[in-house]
Formats: sequence, structure tokens, C-alpha cells
Amino acid sequence: MNGFPDTVLLSRLQFAVTIMFHMLWPVVTIGLSLFLVALEALWIRTGDRNYYIHARFWGRLFVLFTALGVVTGIPMEFQFGTNWSVFSVAGGDFFGNVLGFEGAMAFMLEATFLGIMLFGWDRVPKKVHLFATCMVALGASLSAFWILVANSWMQVPAGGHFDNGRFVVTSYREAMFNIDMPWSVTHMWFACLEITAFMVGAVSAWYIYNKKHTAFFLISFKLALLAALVTAPLQVFIGDGLGRSIAEIQPVKLAAMESHWKTNPPGAGAPFLIVAWPDTAARENLWEVSIPGLLSVLTTHTLTGEVKGLRDFPPEDYPPIAVNFYAFRVMVALGTAFVFLMLWTIWKWKRGGLSVDAAPGEKWLLLSWMLAWPASLAAMETGWIVREVGRQPWIIYGVLRTGDAASPIPAGAVTASLAAFIAVYLMLLVVFFVVGRYLIVKGPGLEAEKGGMAETQADSLRQGAA
Amino acid sequence: MDTISPYLPDIWLVIIGTLLLYYVVADGYDLGVGILSLFCRSGQERSIMAGSLKAVWASNQTWLVLLGGMAFGAFPIFYSLLLSSLYVPIVIMLFGLIFRGLAIELSGHDRFKAFWGPAFGLGSLVTALAQGFAAGALFGGLDIVQLRFVGGMWDWLSPFAVLAALTLLACYVMLGANYLILKTEGDLQAGSYRTARRASAATLVLGAAIFVWNVLRFPYIRERWVHPSTLFYVAVFPLLALLAFSLYRRSLSRSDSLAPLLWSALFVVLAFVGLSAGIYPVIIPGITGHITIREASAHPATLAFMLVAVAILFPIILTYNIYNYRVFGGKTREGKYE
Repeated sequence: MNGFPDTVLLSRLQFAVTIMFHMLWPVVTIGLSLFLVALEALWIRTGDRNYYIHARFWGRLFVLFTALGVVTGIPMEFQFGTNWSVFSVAGGDFFGNVLGFEGAMAFMLEATFLGIMLFGWDRVPKKVHLFATCMVALGASLSAFWILVANSWMQVPAGGHFDNGRFVVTSYREAMFNIDMPWSVTHMWFACLEITAFMVGAVSAWYIYNKKHTAFFLISFKLALLAALVTAPLQVFIGDGLGRSIAEIQPVKLAAMESHWKTNPPGAGAPFLIVAWPDTAARENLWEVSIPGLLSVLTTHTLTGEVKGLRDFPPEDYPPIAVNFYAFRVMVALGTAFVFLMLWTIWKWKRGGLSVDAAPGEKWLLLSWMLAWPASLAAMETGWIVREVGRQPWIIYGVLRTGDAASPIPAGAVTASLAAFIAVYLMLLVVFFVVGRYLIVKGPGLEAEKGGMAETQADSLRQGAA
Repeated sequence: MDTISPYLPDIWLVIIGTLLLYYVVADGYDLGVGILSLFCRSGQERSIMAGSLKAVWASNQTWLVLLGGMAFGAFPIFYSLLLSSLYVPIVIMLFGLIFRGLAIELSGHDRFKAFWGPAFGLGSLVTALAQGFAAGALFGGLDIVQLRFVGGMWDWLSPFAVLAALTLLACYVMLGANYLILKTEGDLQAGSYRTARRASAATLVLGAAIFVWNVLRFPYIRERWVHPSTLFYVAVFPLLALLAFSLYRRSLSRSDSLAPLLWSALFVVLAFVGLSAGIYPVIIPGITGHITIREASAHPATLAFMLVAVAILFPIILTYNIYNYRVFGGKTREGKYE
């Protein structure tokens, strides 16, 4: 496949563009489906019609996210065959198998019950509808599980051996439950919840900021806040666990993430670099700003624990270093910022800043929440850049190099399809903004409620809170 | 497991074939409805057409995802060779599916109203044609040497593939018309009966041409038709397909509403099985050499593991799909879906 270097690069670019665009949508449908389950359950339990109106409102946004997630998801599954045929043959026995399970267990469940969830309100009893929503949520979360199982196996190809260039599975349990999988599944699943919390929080904050249906959207804002309160600090903890697991299973990736060249000698801690500029040829950083000893503390939870440097590994096994270094820093900085946003929000809440009358005045807090949604997506994308670019130069870690895994197709064909994907996806982005804006401006339709019942209940809520 | 081990590739061929046929029939009527929406006389008709699919299209399309994943796992060489050799039609199909899906899902919105109609129709048309060309290119034979595609990016654009694309197009339009017969009433239903008659005649003629061409093209298939020992096995399914077709035409002339969809689905299934039975045990007919299902299949351990999984999952999938159809049974009228 060495005759097609351009095809490899173009296929990588195409995969990067299509996956980075695709994942923006399912992360929200995974979290939002659970939010819809909560709203419907609250409605059935309390009989408060506000929850029903909330479910219908967020359900309309759910359609938009699902539509974009479904239509951009199909190209993902087919790209393994179209652009990565050598990889597909090498890993098909396990990787393809897992994609099959994802379809049979997750996508089918989600897609079928979606019909009832969206259009079945008047056709099935309340509890059956709640069941359908639960199945959509289950399917969505299972799809995250299975795709992470597949990806995790590319990071740690356990549970079998390679025979004549093809992976033969000897233990499904070991291949699925490799040491990376529990951390990465958990990290991604909570990322879905956190991002969704910020999406719901951002949209609610927009209404509160503009003094539209303030009491009504304080309900969803506080639910989002509760979800973010749990997930934002938890993500820092899980991220730490994942990072330490990477130090064990992919030390060269960790060294690249930290632009860490020289293994720290015994008795001395490895420094953490705040900023640096790596020079791959000279195998050192041209300049750096560091905190002594901190990398050892973060990676090994000891003062002088050994952290392998890049110089311990052959240069042909280096992933791109600067990309990993900065992507990792962006993710960590944003993840930390979310924890501070939580602290700030609780402080305001305790001081009565989230009452119906005071909330619209908290302009900076609300603006921060509106920014937190795109920022959380940026944190997710940079996290995946670390995971996937950091896996290079391997497509199946330590076994098959990315440069040897692409389909032997002409570069021109991939150029054309890449250009078409970029054009169509930009158009989808426009559709998202225009339809999304339309749905948000149109609002939850509280005015249409008979006798302003929901607003009356919201008023009583306001009195209860005051 | 040991006793069935040698037959695992065959069992999986049947499973993959079943998934493919479920997809062709179910998404076939979705795509057919989409293509027919291009010829709508009014916006109201088009919104009934799109509305009739809203609750089922995503599930129907997921059979393609299921097919892709299962074929990837069970026949990795088939999956990767087929998709990389047919790069151009496959990618075109993906774009067709993007526009089609988005258009059905968002057609109720006031924004981009002028855009969703053509996106629904043209997305469906492009998807159907791309699938037809890809199927034609596969059945016509791919230029593969030692498990590597050595042909050109435009090999799929052959006269045989044109014939296959037209056949699939007629087939989808036939299925779409039958679905509209079931889901609509009045003028739209009456028109759908006429469309179904014409499209089914076209499907039969074009399908027969495919069949004859396929038999004449590959010597090993031809021999089966002249040897008495194999004649029954290759002839039985085409004959049953003809029987299903005549029952289908009878149901149309009797103005049944559900029966045409079911008989035409049976016709499509039998015709396809007939075509595949002639080709078996080859999974990718080649220009210089064929690839058999055994050469293309995954390790028996993988096939056995997957078999257990699907044996548990498929009954569950079928159960909730049937339930979904029951919930959304009945005629579609405008405004029923939000």
C-alpha cells in the first residue's frame, strides 16, 4: 500500500472530518433520551403538566439531533470497507462483529422505538410511551458502549492473535473487556451526559436571559445543573484514571500528550509542561514552561514515580506530538473550567440567584452556560484527537500501521468524496442552525396551553421558591 | 457446535441474505415512495407520502446498518472488497441516504420547505440507482486478483449494471406503489394501483433479462441449467417467483390493499433467491476468478459466536418491529404527524 501515500492521508482526513462531525449529534441524543425518560417519569409521577410540555419541547430538538446523527452515522460504518479495506480484513473477525452487535442491539432498538416516542403520543398509553422512550435511551447508550468496545480493541487488541494478517478471536471476553474498555466507555458515556446537560442548560439559559418563560425554563436549567454537578467533577476523576491507564498500556501516547522526552531519573519527579514546542528531529522541546514534579504526581500519584519519555521509544513509533500536547491541554483546561462553572453556579444558587426574579439578571452566569455547550463539544473533540491521533502510527495498536491499512483506491476518488463530504456537512450545519433557531424561537408552545395552566403552575412554583 | 461448524458460512450466507432482502423490501418501499413523490401533483400529496414513512423509515434503514455490520463480521473479505471496489456508487448512495433521511425527518418544518420535497425525491432516486449499479457491478463480476481489486474506479458503469439499476428502480417503485395502496385512500390510492401495474410489468421484464444475462455470462451457471441433476435446484425459485408474481397481479386487479405489498415482497425474495442460487457458492463473481463464501468468511469461532448472538437478538428485533407496525397501522392522512 506504500504506493498510495496520498490515499492514506486523504482517507484519514475523510475519516477525521466525518467522525468529528458525526459525533456532535449522537452524544446529545444519548444524554437527551435519558433526560426525556426523566421528564416523562416526573410527569407520570407528579401529574405536573409542565414536565409533559418540557418532554414535547425537548423531543422536538431531539428529532433534529437524531436526524443529523442517523444520516451522518451511516457513512461511518461503510467507510471501514470503502477506505480501510486492509484494516477491515485484518480486524473484521472482531471489529466487524462488534459493529454487527451495535446494529442489532442498539441502533435497531433505538430506531424502531423512536417512531413510537416521536409520533405515538396519541396512539399508545402513557406508560407504554415511557417504555418506548426508555428503549430509545437504552439503545442510544448501548450504541456508545459497543462503538467504544470496537475502538478500545483498536487501542488494545487483546483476546486473540494475528494469523496471516488476520485477527483470530480466541476469547471474546478478553477482547471486549480489555483493560482500556471500562475507563473509555465510562469517560465517553459521562461525556455524553455532561455535554447534554450543557446543551439543555445553554438553551434554558437563553430563555432565562431573554426573560422568556423564565419559571418554565428554570425547571430544565436546574435539572441540567443537577446532571452537570454530578458529571463535571466525576469526569475529572475518570479522566485521571484513563490517563494513568494510558501510561501503562500506551506509554508513548502519554509521553506525546505531555511532550515528555526524557524519562525522569530515579528519585526525581517528571515535570508537567504548561506550554512547550516539541522538535521531533532533535527529540527535545525547543522551549517549555514547566511545573517540576507534577507529571509524576498526576501519572503515578507519587512524587518521583517514573514516567517514560519519548526518547525511550523509536521515532518511527511517535504519534504527532504537538497536536496531542495541545489537544490534551485544551480538554483538561475546559474540563477544569466546567468544575469552576459548577462551583460558581451553586454559589449563586445558594444566594438566591436562581429565583424567577433574580435569574434573568445573572447575565454573566447565563452567558457562561450558553458558552459551555460548544465548549463541552470542543472538550470532547480534543479528547478524541488525543485518543486517535495519539494511537498513530498504528491503526491496530502495535500490530497494523495506518499507512498499510487503507484501500488501494486512487487518491482522486478520495479527494472527490472528501470534498463532497465537507460541502454536504457544511450544509447540514446550516440546516441545524436554521431549524434549531426556528424551534427555539418558536418555544415550548406554553401560550397554546388551555387557560395558561402551565404558566399558573409555574407561578405557584415561583411562589414556592421565593 | 462441531457438527454444524462446516456449514457455518452457509448459515451466515442465509442470514446475510435475509437481512439484505428485508432491507430491499422494507427500505425499497420507502425509496419507492420517495421516487414517486417526484411525480406528485400537489404539496399535500407529497406530505402524505413523507408522513406515511415517518414512523418506519429509520427502522427500515437500520436493516442496512445491520447488514453492513453483520457482513463485516461474517464475511470481512466480501465487505471490504465489495465496498472498496465499488467506492464511487457506494459513496453516492451514502449521500443519497443523507438527503433522503434528513428530508423525511425534517419535512414537517417550515424552514427550507422548498428544499425538503426535492431532497426526499432525488435522495431516494440517487440511492436506488447507486444500489442498482453496485448490485449490477457485483453480479456482473469484479476485477479481483488475489483478493485485491485491480479494476478501475468506473468499472461499475457497465451495460449490465445499467440494466440492474433500471430493474432495482422499477422494483422499488413497484414496492412503493404497493405501500401507498396500503397507506392511502382516494386519488392517491387509485393512482398507486396504476403505477403498481406498470412498475411490476417493467420489473418482471427487466428482471427476466438480468436472469438470462447472468446465466449466459458465467459458464458454471449455464451448466446447471442443462444438467438434469441441477436443473431442479436452479429452476425452482424462478418458477415460484413467477407464481408469486401472478398472485400479486391478481391481488392488484381485485383491489386488495395489503395483499399486493405482501405478494410483491414474496416475488422479490424468490426472484433474488433464484438469482443467488444460480451463483452459489460464489459470493463475488470475478472476471478472472471467483471468490467463494468459504474464502470470504470469518473464522468459524467468530461465526459460531455471532450465530448465538443473532439467535437471541433477531426474535426480539422482529417482535418490536411488528409491534411498531401495529401501532402505526391504518391510513395516513395529512396532519396526523406533527
